[in-house]
Amino acid sequence: MSSQVTALIATHLSDRRRSLLAWGLPIGLMSAFIVAIFPSVEDSISKAVEGYPEGLKEAFGIGQLSNVEQYLQAEMLSLIVPLAAGYLAVRAVASGLSGAAESGRLDVLLSAPVSRLRLCVAGFLATAVELAAVLALGWLLTMLGSALASAGLGAGPAAAGFANVWPLALLFAGLGIVACGFSLRTSVVTGAVAGVLVAMYVIDLVGKLDSGLSGIRYASVFRYYGNAIEEGIDPLAFAGVTAAAMGLAALGAWLFERRDISA
Amino acid sequence: MSVPSPTMSAMRVIETEGLTKLYGRHRGIEGVTVAVEAGEVFGFLGPNGAGKTTTIRTLLDLIHPSAGRALLFGLDSQRESVAIRSRLGNLPGDFGYGREATGREALRLLARLRGIDGLGRAEALAQRFRADLDRPLGQLSRGNRQKVGLILATFHEPELLILDEPTGGLDPLMQEEFLALVAEERERGCAVFISSHDLDEVERVCDRVGIVKDGRVIAIERVADLLAKTQRRDLVEVEFAQPVELEDVRALSGVVGAEFAHPTLEEVFLGYYREEEDE
Repeated sequence: MSSQVTALIATHLSDRRRSLLAWGLPIGLMSAFIVAIFPSVEDSISKAVEGYPEGLKEAFGIGQLSNVEQYLQAEMLSLIVPLAAGYLAVRAVASGLSGAAESGRLDVLLSAPVSRLRLCVAGFLATAVELAAVLALGWLLTMLGSALASAGLGAGPAAAGFANVWPLALLFAGLGIVACGFSLRTSVVTGAVAGVLVAMYVIDLVGKLDSGLSGIRYASVFRYYGNAIEEGIDPLAFAGVTAAAMGLAALGAWLFERRDISA
Repeated sequence: MSVPSPTMSAMRVIETEGLTKLYGRHRGIEGVTVAVEAGEVFGFLGPNGAGKTTTIRTLLDLIHPSAGRALLFGLDSQRESVAIRSRLGNLPGDFGYGREATGREALRLLARLRGIDGLGRAEALAQRFRADLDRPLGQLSRGNRQKVGLILATFHEPELLILDEPTGGLDPLMQEEFLALVAEERERGCAVFISSHDLDEVERVCDRVGIVKDGRVIAIERVADLLAKTQRRDLVEVEFAQPVELEDVRALSGVVGAEFAHPTLEEVFLGYYREEEDE
């Protein structure tokens, strides 16, 4: 990796050091709380879930809720963590492009001998690292909650559950760079990509609820998300979504290279 | 419009040919043709919205021209932008770098991007301009931010300095220091392209000026030639019913003195504008 990209990544991470706590702490503490209360609500939850329609359970990844892993999946990893991480990803990647354009920093950086491609690559890689750090903190706090409450959460399955969010969220970082190829207003970029994020979730949900519409799930990255905490990480889906994220980042960089950087 | 004819032996650091930028149906700049040589300080004069910043952003490849081309150091401004930027320093108009970063953090990053190890010259410049490199830029006044911007533009001893409204917010003392720095850069052989509407500043430091109006360059002259030319059109501010010669005025009984009022560069500049408007 070039020294320029390394320098840009280090600066990006330093600028966004607070996001590790701002995002990792809430995700981790909420997950820890969910895991910690599981032993006390286990029986009542299991009985309640037995009455849920099968389609609903499948749509929200609820399953049987007979163990803490299933409960963590249903309460956090099927919805809240992916949506939060996806939004964090677009915020992070936009901060280095549209955010930098708005603050004037982009003009300064592009006065130096650094290509726009390298700026995009650095922003994407820094976002990947930031996401990994936030998810790792989330996992760590969750395991802490489990240990304190003797909930019996398996470290490996929980790690798989959190790690599986990474490529999905990274895809929205790639989409964020594409959006920066069209607009350098951060509100537009984050708004548009957050809209796609929610739309993809809804598409997947509708496809799960109505078997006649299951085909539309292919338009959503959530189709490939799965349930890693129980079934382990699907390496093909993991690699495929990561490759798609990189492809989108490359497309975004191509668009970014060709656009005007407005004053 | 007078077009300069630099000698072929002089190295042209900037050379544009019919540079045009249109934003849909709106004009940015049109047919801008200028040449700046090594060791020359070139002033780009015009009011807000005339096209000065658009020209600079096109030179830096921040925006892509609709037509025409620009060569910097003989390299194409679009295809060889990275190589060009390794040899220049730029102070953007209304310099900003975000609120939380300090000047020193910005310097360290730019030094790494430029492959420079030491910040010795930057520290010396910071002392000279009394710039605070350790406070977050968001806490600095516009003038103090501008000082940091100047240091970022010059610390690596570039061959070309592009400065967009460089003295905005600087106090008179620092403006003097800035003018001295520009003179030193010229002595070093650096070409300086300054966009400004501070005509006094331009008159003092620039070798040549280009006057831009409505996106078009309407005049390019040596500052000395421009002033000499206009001094031949000296204005006599007296109120008589009919035209008179100054000697006749001086010879008039009861007149204790009469003076020529030599126009300043500002009046010359405004004169060009009025001539254009009359046409």
